[in-house]
Amino acid sequence: MDRSLKIFQAYKKTPWRRQLQVIGLVSASVVFVAIVAGVYLNVTARAATYGREIQSIRRESREIEREIEDLQSHLANLTSARDMKKRAKDLGFISINPVTAVYLEIPTYPEEQPIELAPELRPPETPLVPQLPPQYTQSLFEWIREAMYKISLKTGAVE
Amino acid sequence: MRLENRWRFNVLAVLFGLAGVIIFIQTIRLQIIPAGKAIRQEGDDRFQGVLLDIDAPRGQIYDRTGHLLAGNKIVYEVGIQLEYVEEPSAIAQVLNAVLGMDYYEALDIANIPYNEEDAVYAVVERRVPAEKAALISSFIEQWVERKESGVQEGNLDGLVIFPYLHRNYPEGDLASSVIGFVAFDEEGYEEIGYYGLEEEYNDSLAGTKQKVWVPFNPNYVTETRHVPTGVSLVLTLDRDIQMMVEDMVDKAIEDYHALSATIIVMNPENGEIYAMSSTPHLDLNEFWKLGEVYPPEIPFNRGVSQAFEPGSVFKIFTMAAALDAEKVTPETTFDDTGSINVGGIIIKNWNEDAWWEQDMIGCLRHSLNVCLAWVGTQLEADLFYQYMNAFGFGTKTGVDLAWEAYGRLKEPGDGDWYPSDLGTNTFGQGVSVTPIQLIMAASAMANDGKMMVPHVVRSIIDGNSQYNIHPQVAGQPVSAETARVLTDMLAISLEKEASSATVSGYRLAGKTGTAQISMGKAGYTKDRTNASFIGWGPLPDVRFLVYIWLEKPTTSIWGSEVAAPIFPEVVEELVVLMDIPSDDVRNALFSQ
Repeated sequence: MDRSLKIFQAYKKTPWRRQLQVIGLVSASVVFVAIVAGVYLNVTARAATYGREIQSIRRESREIEREIEDLQSHLANLTSARDMKKRAKDLGFISINPVTAVYLEIPTYPEEQPIELAPELRPPETPLVPQLPPQYTQSLFEWIREAMYKISLKTGAVE
Repeated sequence: MRLENRWRFNVLAVLFGLAGVIIFIQTIRLQIIPAGKAIRQEGDDRFQGVLLDIDAPRGQIYDRTGHLLAGNKIVYEVGIQLEYVEEPSAIAQVLNAVLGMDYYEALDIANIPYNEEDAVYAVVERRVPAEKAALISSFIEQWVERKESGVQEGNLDGLVIFPYLHRNYPEGDLASSVIGFVAFDEEGYEEIGYYGLEEEYNDSLAGTKQKVWVPFNPNYVTETRHVPTGVSLVLTLDRDIQMMVEDMVDKAIEDYHALSATIIVMNPENGEIYAMSSTPHLDLNEFWKLGEVYPPEIPFNRGVSQAFEPGSVFKIFTMAAALDAEKVTPETTFDDTGSINVGGIIIKNWNEDAWWEQDMIGCLRHSLNVCLAWVGTQLEADLFYQYMNAFGFGTKTGVDLAWEAYGRLKEPGDGDWYPSDLGTNTFGQGVSVTPIQLIMAASAMANDGKMMVPHVVRSIIDGNSQYNIHPQVAGQPVSAETARVLTDMLAISLEKEASSATVSGYRLAGKTGTAQISMGKAGYTKDRTNASFIGWGPLPDVRFLVYIWLEKPTTSIWGSEVAAPIFPEVVEELVVLMDIPSDDVRNALFSQ
């Protein structure tokens, strides 16, 4: 009996070992939570930074668009038809007389065409479907299901 | 734990417990009671983002070669956020000094008591130019610096200024009657287009005004919707041709002392309008002068909105109908005795003389009312009006401009139609048309019988795509053969009669018109007319169609003396601007 008690006591954890175990467990949990929190904080902080940047860029983009419109107007003011005509006159240009005008034939010279400010809208040549590979579009569940389906095809479970 | 301290812990426990219970109850209450939804929404609005009214920049308008006719420029709005005003007199002083505003008026605005429901923000002035805006901004900056250093006087809190895009017309009054203008609506809340293209295409140009949720949380930034700009328009107008035509219009007013002048230049092959001008002209950047420039009875664009009796230019449609219906040929002769009775009234020629035997070319060449009235009787009323309807008289052309008028074509069956109307209508009396209707109808003659719908918008640019508007055929009132024969008849009559309308080196077709002006039941004026000319060329491959109308010219009442001389002036400039060599050069080039 004494012998078995001695063996039991020998294997029984000492109070300091128990304390150490608890402290270790708590510390591990704290470290785990800290790591998760740190990762989360890092990701959130980066997302927030980029978000702010996007907000700022959008604001800047709106300002630039506004400025572009303003500059286009300004340029058009400076090159208005009447101003250009006056400048041409001041430079000594005179209007052509249709009777005395000399026309030369230039076979490849294209007739002046109306302006094209953007590509003309035509029906799309390729179907309007996402071009991204399925890895970027399917969910994890879909991916697993597809993988299992492929495996089953290989093993002959499904024909 | 000592027993004497236990009660303290119990008190703390009760307090924390109570706080927990209160929070729990409040949470439930907010979820359940109807007002809770509003409270939650308010919390969301205040702390999660802001709902902004975002106006997309208005689309631009270009001429056919890409010159900007209507764009946007940065201007500023000066306003007062009433909640933050502390020293109204300081704000009033700045507004008085910079904007030249009456001090007491500015003070009244700054003194408006803040009310969350209906008095939050007051607009002081819009369209403030950049220089003045910079001055106000510098005053505000100076105040912020003073405030930071502890000075309280000259408090400009509440005075705000922000930029926005406002319509700008780089060409000033060029093509003003076609473009129209943009101004604030009657409530002063929204900018909308008035007249012309700005009104016709307002919804497309303005884009969609949207309420956009802008979250404060940067993680949700991608949820902010992009507000697309309004569509842009590329016109069929050519800036240089338009300027030339406007100069001609002004010159015509000066030379012939007319009440108004209108000129339209169109490509009869596809209905594209190269230029359209009518007096008066309004500098679109000063649209508020509309009332001064346009008295109430004057339409903004006479070219589409003013119907009048066209006179003898209408004879080309009567003759075309008779040729097409095979009632006459160019060689058909008519013995003009100087008068004809149609429906009980006696119709006489413009000079009240007899012109004796004339073929149909002679009838057009001398513009004989009697002959054309006889042609009308050969057609008879049903057929004549059938053709006139086919030419589109009495109905809108569908031109893409606001405020198009119908004109009036009385027909058998109408209460005010009499058999005598057949006689007078044949030479353009008793029928009212708009210049745009006339030019569309005439496009049939210049385009092998096909009448094209006139239009001023060539393309619409939406985002990164351009939609080109394709020409539309409005109908084919006469055959290609009829159109060619009539054009040839008019070319011959022009060469023989109205020499003032010819251009050396170019074969052209055309017809003058002189219409007395109706005074209702009092009959027609003798000394006031609508003088006009319609012509096209160069023959046979027509590139342009020109209509000229002078209202009440005083130097002469005759179209052949006031409107016809303008035609060659326009054509001489037009052939240069459109790179059209003379007939000899073209024939030589084609024969190679």
